[in-house]
Formats: sequence, structure tokens, C-alpha cells
Amino acid sequence: MQDKLEVKYGLPETVRYCARCVMSNQRPASSVEFKHGKNHRHRALHFDAEGVCDACRFAERKESIDWKQREEELLRLLDRYRRKDGYYDCVVPGSGGKDSAYASHVLKYKYGMHPLTVTWPPILYTDIGLRNFRNWIEVGGFDNITFKPNGRVHRLLTRLAIENLLHPFQSFILGQKNLAPKIAIKYEIPLVFYGENEAEYGNPIADNQQSLRDKSYFTLQNLSDVSLGGVPINELIEQHGLNLNDLMAYLPADYKDIERTNVDVHYLGYYLKWTPQECYYYAIEHTGFEANPVRTEGTYSKYNSLDDKIDGFHYYTTYIKFGIGRATYDASQEIRNRHLTREEGVALVRRFDGEFPGFYFQEVMDYIGMKPERFHQLCDQFRSPHLWKKEDGQWQLRHPLS
Amino acid sequence: MSVRVIARLDIKGPNLVKGVHLEGLRVLGSPERFAQAYYREGIDELVYMDVVASLYQRNSLVDFVRLTAQDIFIPLTVGGGLRTLEDIRQVLVAGADKVSLNTAAIARPDFIREAARKFGSSTVVVSIEAIRMPNGQYEAYTDNGRERTGVNAFDWACRAAELGAGEILLTSIDREGTGKGFDLELTRTVAQAVTIPVVACGGAGTLDHIRDVVSRGAADAVCIASLLHYDLLKRMGTDYRAGEEGNVEFLKQARNFSKVSGAAVGDIKRVLRESAIACRPAFESTSHV
Amino acid sequence: MSDSAAPAIVIVDYGMGNLFSVLRACQSVGVEAVITDSKQAVSDAAAVILPGVGAFGVAMENLAALDLIDVLRDVAATGKPLLGVCLGMQLLMSESHEFGHHRGLDIIPGNVVQLPLIPGLGAASKVPHVGWESVEPPVSSREGHAPGSAWDGTLLEGLPGGEYMYFVHSFYCRPRDQARVLSVTRYGTFEFCSAVTLGNVMGCQFHPERSGPAGLLIYRNFSAKVASLKQGEQRAGQA
Repeated sequence: MQDKLEVKYGLPETVRYCARCVMSNQRPASSVEFKHGKNHRHRALHFDAEGVCDACRFAERKESIDWKQREEELLRLLDRYRRKDGYYDCVVPGSGGKDSAYASHVLKYKYGMHPLTVTWPPILYTDIGLRNFRNWIEVGGFDNITFKPNGRVHRLLTRLAIENLLHPFQSFILGQKNLAPKIAIKYEIPLVFYGENEAEYGNPIADNQQSLRDKSYFTLQNLSDVSLGGVPINELIEQHGLNLNDLMAYLPADYKDIERTNVDVHYLGYYLKWTPQECYYYAIEHTGFEANPVRTEGTYSKYNSLDDKIDGFHYYTTYIKFGIGRATYDASQEIRNRHLTREEGVALVRRFDGEFPGFYFQEVMDYIGMKPERFHQLCDQFRSPHLWKKEDGQWQLRHPLS
Repeated sequence: MSVRVIARLDIKGPNLVKGVHLEGLRVLGSPERFAQAYYREGIDELVYMDVVASLYQRNSLVDFVRLTAQDIFIPLTVGGGLRTLEDIRQVLVAGADKVSLNTAAIARPDFIREAARKFGSSTVVVSIEAIRMPNGQYEAYTDNGRERTGVNAFDWACRAAELGAGEILLTSIDREGTGKGFDLELTRTVAQAVTIPVVACGGAGTLDHIRDVVSRGAADAVCIASLLHYDLLKRMGTDYRAGEEGNVEFLKQARNFSKVSGAAVGDIKRVLRESAIACRPAFESTSHV
Repeated sequence: MSDSAAPAIVIVDYGMGNLFSVLRACQSVGVEAVITDSKQAVSDAAAVILPGVGAFGVAMENLAALDLIDVLRDVAATGKPLLGVCLGMQLLMSESHEFGHHRGLDIIPGNVVQLPLIPGLGAASKVPHVGWESVEPPVSSREGHAPGSAWDGTLLEGLPGGEYMYFVHSFYCRPRDQARVLSVTRYGTFEFCSAVTLGNVMGCQFHPERSGPAGLLIYRNFSAKVASLKQGEQRAGQA
């Protein structure tokens, strides 16, 4: 009789794949990152009685939404906020990728708004990422505020996040989610637009029915239950020589400030039908966007997530922790948008998922000051036994995609 | 010598698709409809590329080739995922005149020699999809512009010619789909180095670009996609039906793609002839396409 | 009375050539044609199409191996319509200099030699000659004829002079007798023979089955010729 396998991260014990896309039920919902401690238990992707995941159901519903009516809602919203006195009337966060390119451009040039774009930059810019960012501003034509966090702190938190959570992207995600509302508060621009809603990817459907982004993602009420890099704040201060000022960039806005200035955060994807691949074409057409010349490691795609050298690491660690690599994410999105059939998605996942991010590996190791062996060691520690087995010295998924 | 004007149809499953930088699978319509229209308008040749065959490791163009070969009587080149002599034979039997090899040829260059020996040099086209490197050289890519090979595109073109290729189909991945014009330097360097015809592909956005790639890029033939497709789509209207496979959002929203000005076969040939570049005349456009 | 036993037109399969496009071209002009490598079928046919893509020497070897050489010469000698396409036209000649020296079918006296290298627009010579070029009656045959009628009674009847056809070749034919030259084509500054004729034998260097509607007209003419000969025979048989 087999011993019961340990199941890490609070994931479902049995691995199942969506009947429609290629996502598995091990996919964690987006966390509230500043509460992401070492023993964090993830909320996993929900499958309904027919074995179809929430993201696919959402995509289904997208087809029957009255987009004309949603656009009218958007127009009414924009009419309320649009300013003619020369000041900004909305904040659009982004980095010049296809989604923020589309959102900012369509708000400004089609709907006559006056966006201030706001950028929390990638941890390590790729050449193409930097070019696309510059073209966004210079060809697309937008004012932009870029906030760069303290480099030493950034590096430390990135390393801690890898060591404690095997989550290389956390330091980036923290800033990305928090910056726009904080800038909106400071500059008194009460309207923030994100692009797609994460429910498109399988965060609970309830989150998505209304446009306003769930405020718990970016407001802070009590400092004492905050962790960064898997380390509680007080420990960061006492044991890593940081002070509160060093950490503010990673913390969300104070709830009181949000209330006072009445900042509202909306998903543009609620009002406008979002097709990521068409955002790519739109960005090419209007903001000087270029695709990655090669396919990004771990996937077949050339237009998604190009700008950070750590992107590849992020998806490699999701593969380690959840058995889900980048090809799975990209293919699932494209299946839901009907660009691919499930069969095609399966072929792509089998071919590319879990590809090691060799291209920038040494550079990233040098950046965080970690030895490659240590990274591999960490990976092995973070594999959940219920997902992985070792056969002939090679790690294999127990339940690969079928 | 006259210059050939060739239409390239990128095909995925049942759809004609068009990307930018060989990325993106935006559906423009049914490939038969486009192929027939170009034939009637006087296109000189057609190229059908199965853009996902190597990526998905499958072949699916044979049926489509057979279908259009019934009533299209101009040379047809078929490519995408052809890996064995048997793959080539099937496509030729279905009605293709030439086959285009890329991924399989770079993986095993002798494949070119074997194919040329068995089917004739003039049947074998080597497709080179190239990206410009920071040092000004060009690298060849495979799998629909996804995989680096470390192979210098210019050297590879020369080698392919030596191995028996009948033509080179040369695509600039940097330019393709952007409408910014062909890569004249890439085209000219290769065209002047090999004694076999070189077909320039990738980047035509205006009629001037086409004239330039012949007169300044030394191309022996031009291969056009976006410029023709977006124009034909505007003239024909879409045959999109709800529920179809693929990225049909562009068609659904009846949008425009402003990067290419759009031109018909007749426009292209007129500009060439006006520039004293000989080519087969187009046909008078009929009242409806 | 219809002759249903033997197909009207056979397309010779000797292992080289774009047989299927030729077949489809025939079908599209409403003609029953059959692809065959059988000596008997070729001998019994009412008309023969000899396609071809590739090297002359190999082609003649293949024809010899199938024992088709004399059969094809008989087809020509008995006045049955015989159409040679591309390499098939070259095979009608006496000899070729492609990769050595090879004897041809010698149905039309002449030889096959390499196209000279022609500077291209980019100052590079390209081999083979691939592309569309215009096909004209030779100057001599234009004299004394009303414009547009130089080809009456031939397989090119109905084509305006200067029609573009599709070529893929590195060699060209030089018939000994200029009267055999049915059409000429210019490649750069160089003029070569692009079609030949002798009685009911015709050869075209270009590919009519790949030359769009203009090429299909040639297949239509060929089929009309076969039909009219058959009618002629039938009438003769009834007389």
C-alpha cells in the first residue's frame, strides 16, 4: 500500500485538467502578496461538475455579454471623470506591454481621456522590453511616471522571496499591484484602469462580475500581518537591516487614504472585450510594439510577458510548485479565446512546458547573489510530492497533461 | 526577365491567418476564397504555408492543396512541417509544384540534396526566415520564426544552393507583417551571392516597397501577404461565421489594419511595369471578386 | 458511335513530371485522360502527352526501361497527336548536351543546349530560368499573315501573340529546320525557341497547365484536334 503523498501549499490532492483548456486544478489564485507567508495555503482553481474551470466558464460568458451595453457603461463612467482643464483624469499602470499599450491608447485616443501612465519597472529589463516601453511613451504618446525602488532592497527581497517562497516575481508583483493606486492618491486622480480582470484566468468568478477591483488587493489596514519575501516586516527590520522607509514601496496604500480620496480602480476588461492576441496587433499598430524575435522560454508565444529577464524564472517556479508552466498559461488563454483547439494546446504544452530558463539564468543568479546549485536545491525542496516523482534520476510529473 | 508576383497564404487549420513577425494567428477568412480571387486577378504563383505544422508537429495541408488544385492553374508551392521525402511526395501528388523546406532542412541539410535528387531541383524551395542580429548579420530561425539556430542566413543560403535547392524564399521576420518595407540589405546580399532565384518576402506595405526590392534589393520575385490580404478583405468583405475556430475578433469587429495601405494584384503589376520592370500583366478586374 | 474501349488521351508516366497538373488541366477542359506507364496503353491511345521535369539523360533511361522509345516514335509517325511539355518537348529532339551527351527521341531533328547566363536586374545570372515570359510567333511566320493568325491551325490558335506563359528550365531546343519553330521567347536579350511543331506533334518549353487560362486554351486546342481527328476517322470508316 502506498504511503499518502504530502500535498504542499494547500493544493488539491488529486490532479485534474480542465476539459476545455489545458489548465490544471493546481493553479493558485492570485494571492494578496503582502500576506503571502511561508505557510500560505493557496486557493486553487475551481472546476465545475462538468470538469470545466472557472476561467473557461468566464470566457463562455464573455460571448453572451452585451458589449455594446458595457461600452455605454464605460462612456458614462468616463464622462463623469473626464477633465477639460488640462489635468489627468485617470491612471493607467503598465510597462508598455500589449495590454497596457491597448488600454492607455484606447482610453486616450478613442475615448478622449487624459491618462497618466504609471510604471513599476521589471526587475531586470530585457532589451526588447525596454524598447517596447520607450516606444509606448514615444510612439504611442503618453506622459509616464516610473517609480524605481531602491535597488539594494529590491535585490534582497527578490532573493528572500526565492529562498522562502520560490517566488521570484513577488517583488515585482508587489509594486505592480500597489503603485497605481498610490500614485492616484498622491496626484489626486481618482480613477485607475487595469486591463484584464484576473478572473479571466481563473480567480474566483465572484471577483469579476463587477468592475471594481477587489480592494483587499491593494489596501493595508494593519502593518503587523504583512510579510515580504516570506518574511514578516518586523523580522525584515530587525534581522535584515531594513527600515520602514525602505519597505514602503512594497506596501499598499493606506485604506484611510483610499477612502479619503475616493480612488476607484476599474478593470477595462469589464467594459471592453479583451482578446490578448488582438491587443498584440493593436500595440504593433499604435505604440511601436515589437514581438520577441524568438519564442519566450517555456512557451511557444512571442507576444506575452517579454520585458523581464526573470519572467522565465517565474514560470519555471510555477512549474516546480504547481506543475504548471508557461506554455500551459499561454495555451489556456488562447484556447479560451478560441485561437487554439485543446488538442493543439496539448501538443504545445507537451513540447514547451517547464523548459529551463537557461538564457538569463546565470545573469539572474549573479543579480541575486545565489549559486546555481542552491537554486536547484531550492527547486527540489519546493516540489510537492503529490505532483512529482523521481525516476532514473529525473524528475517527472506524476500526472502530466492529457 | 520578368519578375514574379507571388501571394503567400499562411494557413492554420481551416483558416487564412496573418501575423506580425510571424506571431499572432489573426484569421482573415477562408484560404480558398483568397486563393481563387488572386488566381482570377492574375497572380503569378501561390505559396501555402502551414504556419503551425512544425510547432505542433503535424501536417494538414494536403487536403487543402488537393481542393484548390482542381481549378487553379498556376504554380503552387507548399510548405510547413515537411520532414520526410514521403511528406513531400504526398503534397506533390495532391497538386503542388514545389515544396518549401525550412525546419527540416536546417536540422538535416542533406534532406535538401535527397529531395532535389528525387523530385528535381526546381521542385525544392528552401525557405529562410531571418532576423537581423545586433552585429548586422542575419540569423536563420525555424518553427515559424520561433527557434534560434545559430546559423548565419547568408551562409545557409549559399549552402542550400550548393545542396541543390531550386529557389530561395527569403523572409525577414523583423519586417514581415509590419508594412515597413522589405529588408533590402538582406535580400540583395543573398540574391547577389547565389545563382538560383531569390524570392523576397516580408514587409511590403506600399507599392513602392515592391518596386524597391526588385530594383534595389535584386529580388527575382516578390512574395506578398499582408498588403494583398487586407486589401482583398476590404473589397470582398468577410465570410466569417459565428462560432468558428481561431482568432476571429478582427473580422467580427470589421476593423482596419493601418500598417499596410493595401493593394490589389493589378496595382502591383501596374507599378512594376511603370518602372520598366517586366512582369506578366494582371487581368482586368471583374465586376465582383 | 463512341469509342469507349481506349481512353482518348494518355499522359505518359515515366517517373518524372508534374503528371497531376497535366491531368487536371485536361479534366478542366472536359477531356478524359489517363496517366499510364504501359507500353500498350500508349500505343493504343488516340493521343499522347509527354510531360517532364528533370534531367534529359535520366528521362531517356526511364523511357528505355519502360520500352517506350519506339512506341512514342510510332505515335508520331502515325500522325497521332503528341504533345511534349517542358522536358517532354526537349525529348522530342535528336540529342541533348545536358550532363553529357544523350540521344533523344529524334522526332524533330535538332538539339538541346544550355541557356546562356543572362544578367539579371541585380547583375546576377540566375539558373534555372523560372518565371513568366511572353510567347510570340517567330518573325518569319508573321510575314504574310494577318495579325493574330500566325498560329491558326496550330495548338496555339486563338492566343494573341505576346501571351505570357510559365517557364522553368535551364536548357532550350534548337530545331535544325527553322520551319519547326512555332514560337519564340525572349529571356533578357536572348531569344530562344519556346514551342515546336511538326504535323500533329507539338512541343512547348513552357508549362501550359501552369500558365493560367491562356495555358488551358492550349489543352482545349489539343483536345479539339484529337476530337476532329477521331471524327475524321469515323467519317473515313463510314465512307
